[in-house]
Amino acid sequence: MAKSGILKVENRNPEQTLRQVYAWWLREEKVSALLVPAVSSTGVFSPALISTPEKVADTAPLLPAMTVNSASIIAEIAPNPVEEGVKVAVVLRPCELRAVVELVKLKQVALDNLVLVGIDCPGTYRASDFAEISHGDSDFNNRFVRNQDGYLNEERFRSACQNCEFPTPLVSDLTFGFLGIDPEQELIVVANTAKGEALLEGLELKIIEGTPASRERFLEKFCQARKEKAAQRIAEFDKVGLGPENLMRYFARCLNCHNCMHVCPVCYCRECFFESEALARELDEQVRLSRHKGITRMPAGTMLFHLTRMNHMMTSCVQCGICEDSCPVQIGLSVLFKKVSRAAQEEFGYLSGRSLEEPLPLTTFREDEFRTIGED
Amino acid sequence: MPYEPTIVGFLCNWCTYAGADLAGTSRIQYPPNMRPIRVMCSGAVDSAYILRALLEGVDGVLIGGCHPGDCHYVSGNYKTRRRIVLFNAIMRSLGLDDGRVWLRWISAAEGKKFADTITQMTEELRRKGPSPFKALWEV
Repeated sequence: MAKSGILKVENRNPEQTLRQVYAWWLREEKVSALLVPAVSSTGVFSPALISTPEKVADTAPLLPAMTVNSASIIAEIAPNPVEEGVKVAVVLRPCELRAVVELVKLKQVALDNLVLVGIDCPGTYRASDFAEISHGDSDFNNRFVRNQDGYLNEERFRSACQNCEFPTPLVSDLTFGFLGIDPEQELIVVANTAKGEALLEGLELKIIEGTPASRERFLEKFCQARKEKAAQRIAEFDKVGLGPENLMRYFARCLNCHNCMHVCPVCYCRECFFESEALARELDEQVRLSRHKGITRMPAGTMLFHLTRMNHMMTSCVQCGICEDSCPVQIGLSVLFKKVSRAAQEEFGYLSGRSLEEPLPLTTFREDEFRTIGED
Repeated sequence: MPYEPTIVGFLCNWCTYAGADLAGTSRIQYPPNMRPIRVMCSGAVDSAYILRALLEGVDGVLIGGCHPGDCHYVSGNYKTRRRIVLFNAIMRSLGLDDGRVWLRWISAAEGKKFADTITQMTEELRRKGPSPFKALWEV
């Protein structure tokens, strides 16, 4: 049973309040380190691993900028359990948490030494946009979480965020929330597990039952509006992207750089089929291939890459849109993947990142399902 | 030259490939449009193989496996079935024809069914006409 409480915000500064909680966790040795967004003196926005309370000033717990899906980092640093004393709280957005859940099920992340801390996220900016919008204003993040009316119409959010209907974590040990309440006065804290509760032990909280009504109302309206936005964006995509010719046109600029795959949190293979020798062809074979059609685009295999990649990871896609951010030629991947991953997951009644227990669609089956497939 | 469809068939070693063999030894006539590729299990057919064939311009892909419950590896064909469900869902959501990829359960005893399947698929692809990917230079 989830345990909810209200954390009082001091000096109308929710970001500082969270920093103090993080510092306290480190001082009390509740955690060995935290992975949390930070801003360096050189102006770099990035997740950082912080291990001493003195450095919390550099963290930006409410930073509305996203440069990477941190689930990728977690798969990199926490693939296996390590000695028991090491405990790292990873502070993540809902889409990052969903990717972690998928990676746990794909056996790429071990939760043993991690505490999943989720935080509300109404949307994020690309780092370059954020630098321009925030002008280095240290109070920007606080204003951002306070002015909640602007989220739905914020056209400078990353496009995946503009279509995102998951502003709150689906799976976490502990969640900090600010949506639908007044973050100048208070933050909501929800412990979903014993691990999460352990982090709250000794923290001054006003325990509450359930979710505040204002928050529920806000989230309902917000998610509905986002769903409508997503439907509208998908309808726009359908006008230009459907069918073999349109799809080729949609991907026409692709450089075959594979950035979208490299930054994808759930594209987890250590050795990718598309970067192996499996598809290498010598000149005689290239000519033979060209003769099938009379002309083939070079480098060969760009469409094969995208379509196969969709088959390989669409059931786990969390629609974070980091692929689109990494695309050097601005292919609209986020709306495309939103549509395709939804279609793929709905087929199996699955939602990526919803639950640690729900098996991955391609690792399970039932004998009595899809009876018509394979029959005339 | 009039259009004749080309089909690539991924046939499971234990059932459909043996079924094809039986069709041959039983001298059952069927159209010569299918190029068989023997695989150890229909569950070994990755979407990459199907897509590579389609993008390079074949008109249809047949995946032949053992009937559900009869897989030589116990459950390979159930996994094939899910992969094809996924494949079709992705094709449809991109506005691509999901009727050019057929999954069929054909046992080693079903030479007739094998021949009938190839006949049906060839006729269906003749009706559909050439794959649209043939005219596009992307692969």
